[in-house]
Amino acid sequence: MKRKLMAAATVAAMTASVAACGTGGEGSSDTLTVWLMTGSAPEPWLDELNAAFEEEHGVEVNVELQEWNGIQERVTTALSEDGTVDVLEVGNTQTPAFAATSGLADLTDLKDQLGYDAWYESTLATAEFDGRLHAAPWYTANRAVIYDKAMWEEAGAEVPTTRDEWVEALQLIEDNTDYEPIYMPGQNFYVFAGFVWDEGGDFAVEDGDGWVGTLDSPEVEAAMEFYSQLQSFSDSPTDNDEATPQQATEVIPQSEVATWIGLPWQAEAALDALAEEGRDVDYGYFPIPGKTADTLGSVFLGGSNLAVAERAGNKDMAVEWLTMATSAEWMTKFAEATPMLPNQEAALGETEEGSFLEVMGETAAYGEFFPLAPGWANVEVVPNPIKEMMTAVLDGEAHESAAGTADAELTERINRD
Amino acid sequence: MSAKTPDVVAAPDRQREQGRALTRLLPYLLIAPAVIALGLVLGGTLFRNVLISLQEFGRRQLISRTTEWAGLDNYVEVLTNDRFWSTLVRTFVFMAANVVLIMVIGTLCGLLLLRLGKRMRLVLSISLVLAWAMPIIPSTTVFRWIFDTQFGLVNWLMRTLGFSGYDQHNWFDSGLSTLTIATLLIVWTSVPFVALNLYAGLTTVSGEIYEAARMDGASAWRIFWSIVLPIMKPFFLITTFLEIIWVFKAFAQIYALNGGGPNRASETLPVMAYVAGMGQQQYGIAAAISVVTLLILVVAMSFYFRLILKQEKEQS
Amino acid sequence: MTPDKLTDRIGDVNVAGPGGAPPAGDPVRQTVAGTTRSGRGGGEAAAARALRAKRFGQIWPNVVALLLSAVFIFPVYWMLASSFKERGDILTKDPVFFFVPTFENYSRAMGVDLFWTYVVNSLVVTLGAVALALLVALAAGFAIARMQFRGRRAMVLVVMMAQMAPWEVLIIVMYLNARDLEMLNSIFTLMLIYFVMALPFTIWTLRGFIAAVPKELEEAAMIDGCTRTQAFFRVIFPLLAPGLMATSIFGFIMAWNEFAMVLVLNKSPEASTLPLWLASFQTQFGNDWGATMAASTLVTLPVLILFLILQRRVTGGMSAGAVKG
Repeated sequence: MKRKLMAAATVAAMTASVAACGTGGEGSSDTLTVWLMTGSAPEPWLDELNAAFEEEHGVEVNVELQEWNGIQERVTTALSEDGTVDVLEVGNTQTPAFAATSGLADLTDLKDQLGYDAWYESTLATAEFDGRLHAAPWYTANRAVIYDKAMWEEAGAEVPTTRDEWVEALQLIEDNTDYEPIYMPGQNFYVFAGFVWDEGGDFAVEDGDGWVGTLDSPEVEAAMEFYSQLQSFSDSPTDNDEATPQQATEVIPQSEVATWIGLPWQAEAALDALAEEGRDVDYGYFPIPGKTADTLGSVFLGGSNLAVAERAGNKDMAVEWLTMATSAEWMTKFAEATPMLPNQEAALGETEEGSFLEVMGETAAYGEFFPLAPGWANVEVVPNPIKEMMTAVLDGEAHESAAGTADAELTERINRD
Repeated sequence: MSAKTPDVVAAPDRQREQGRALTRLLPYLLIAPAVIALGLVLGGTLFRNVLISLQEFGRRQLISRTTEWAGLDNYVEVLTNDRFWSTLVRTFVFMAANVVLIMVIGTLCGLLLLRLGKRMRLVLSISLVLAWAMPIIPSTTVFRWIFDTQFGLVNWLMRTLGFSGYDQHNWFDSGLSTLTIATLLIVWTSVPFVALNLYAGLTTVSGEIYEAARMDGASAWRIFWSIVLPIMKPFFLITTFLEIIWVFKAFAQIYALNGGGPNRASETLPVMAYVAGMGQQQYGIAAAISVVTLLILVVAMSFYFRLILKQEKEQS
Repeated sequence: MTPDKLTDRIGDVNVAGPGGAPPAGDPVRQTVAGTTRSGRGGGEAAAARALRAKRFGQIWPNVVALLLSAVFIFPVYWMLASSFKERGDILTKDPVFFFVPTFENYSRAMGVDLFWTYVVNSLVVTLGAVALALLVALAAGFAIARMQFRGRRAMVLVVMMAQMAPWEVLIIVMYLNARDLEMLNSIFTLMLIYFVMALPFTIWTLRGFIAAVPKELEEAAMIDGCTRTQAFFRVIFPLLAPGLMATSIFGFIMAWNEFAMVLVLNKSPEASTLPLWLASFQTQFGNDWGATMAASTLVTLPVLILFLILQRRVTGGMSAGAVKG
């Protein structure tokens, strides 16, 4: 609390104090450049953290918020420059790709300092590559089902515990109301991934030195069948994903959607947008149901890691900042301020009953990752062959032929670093 | 634009006394800044592009600043890829369709500008300039909105007019339809250039010529063929040339509409190079695609070069 | 350049001035033509026919022009309209045509940090690139159009081929060059690149305009005691106005809207430009279309202003250019 007040005062004075800070005497630069994606870190948390850091080390922290548009190129080129960026946020599916380029500093020797042992094991997987640590896990978030309580009640539908019950509930909404039972764009590839893992399948397997795409497999076909079943309840086209148009802020407020699948901040954004339209909606959340009642549906554990650039201008301070930001103390504050899951259990506070965060905590144990190959980042880039396959199958192409085409492309891409 | 008698320095006697050497050097001094700028920036870049096309050059090589020579591997990969050849054909067909539309509509707009009164001309020119000046992000966004499946204006219009089946009509469901919309977008942004420049060029031709011809009973068609076209021949030659190049290179409009999809069916060569380079970060492959594209373009346009050089000769 | 007969004709048609002197402005030219025509018509019937034809010929171009204007301006209008809409009214199943305008999108767009830095950077980069291109191209264009020298044809060919440069594909190569020369994060690097991007077209166009100025004018000036330089600036330069306008608008739009190069070359926010700003309202957490469209509108505005300014100047230049007719 005291810190917060202090921070508020310091933030205002921060720009003014820059000049006074230059007395560190390390000889190197006295500012630290941190690249974060817009929206990742809550501003008050970030300001407080930086103020505390500045006080402790006498180094000014310059946060540059990065936009999604063209980020891969920007990170790649930034990592090739000397001193452009010190600490950077890297999406966890992209981390192996950048780790393989030797553009990220090797943090293996700093495990103790970073509190390696406290981290969730599940989120750690993406930060390590070839047995070396290249990043510190920061936060994750996973998807849950968001439903409009009033609409579900009107239809007489109840919160499901299995896939079958889920489909039954959607059918009830379809039969008894005029609402769109579920909004399911044809290319929601992260949701689809969960269904694939539910079947025990995956997108690629290691084969000798390389990887081979496994889309043309009974597991993926079964997952696609279930996906098609859900998608048939939706009015959405088959060739768009959840981001174009943005489901939370662009589709939901304009439609009468009873159910959709999203991330915590998307639920918040949708509620804001609905309120702006003058619609008062009460959302409930439940985990994506599993095939049976004793399990939950698998979810993609999306999130971000923090890494230090190998060519950082101020590597020591970069490591210090990263240590501080991912420490139990600051992750606790982070978890208080955001609907994201922190990197360690100790940081997770109390969760409100029925909240998105609670559901997310439940499903975290069912979190999965895409194949941890440096080339995976290439697969996700537009045009993503898996998304193309989804549209093709939804539009009536046989799974075998659509998957065969996609496998060829996937295999080619994933084997490139 | 008019036929000139060839003379270099019209009257050396009357010129101020100058060293002959300086006179001989003068043209070189005048072109020197242009040559240096083009040579260093463009020449240097093209040269390095060729070097990169001979390397295995990806994310890792870029970041670690290493050089790994790959001989002609990238070229072999590009040239043996069936998709490259089908994309090449698609690019040429797309380019031809666009250039014809741009030139025809642009010419008609330019001629129309000439016939309009002052006020109406200003209205049309401002519309044209705005269409030309609108940045690419809003223009592609608005075009996406116009044809969007769920929120599209066209679907709304069709519904409102009572046509059935447009509730969720997908205008981007094939490569052809995506490229048709890309054509609309490109023609829309490119016509202003042709129209305004044609108009600017035509105003340097005295209006009385048309009046006189019209009085002699010449039809609009004849006036165009026997007056406008001959006078503006250099303009049409060079503008068509430029439009061919620009449409051939057009990338953002196609990519932003549908990412080259569905299933890469609306990919043209520049989109393909972008997907390989910026997307897949295979800069070596992308460089090879660009070198091959450039060579094909030079060969395809060589007849054009000769035509323009000939024109050039007539003028000087 | 045109059939002599026609040129002769102009002599007796034109009442505005002796010997094919320039008609002052376009409207004047039209009225003049109109008067002469009906005057020359002869019989009543012919006059009536001409009048009818004229009326017919006056209405249709205007109707077509109005329709065309609507088509061309519609996307621009939609951008403008969206920039004044509330968030919920921008993307809707049934488009919103009537709404109470809000200025919030503009204040949000302009309220970002460093907005004025972007404005200054964009202006410096664009104006600098255009000015450089005009200057260098005038010199080169003059040499190509007016002088014979060895390598002239080669130069013509180079200028022509340079327009084929696939700049978008070359971005990464330019990035590497700039990185290795330590020229990243500099608006002067951008200026230099945009200048070279605009240069081939500018040379080409100005060369055409210079070549179109009758050599006799220049000679006459030199007879009157001007040096060649003076002759150029006093006689040729004023006649180049339409060419200067065409090329500077071309260069301006190109440099002003360029996005991909800045994105990769200038990572420091202090060295960023307006197109990056306008793209910054689309994030993975939601697209602020209102702010995007407000920013786009603001970015489009200077081009319109530039055009309107140049447009006025050019009318003078054009009638001067008619001398050679």
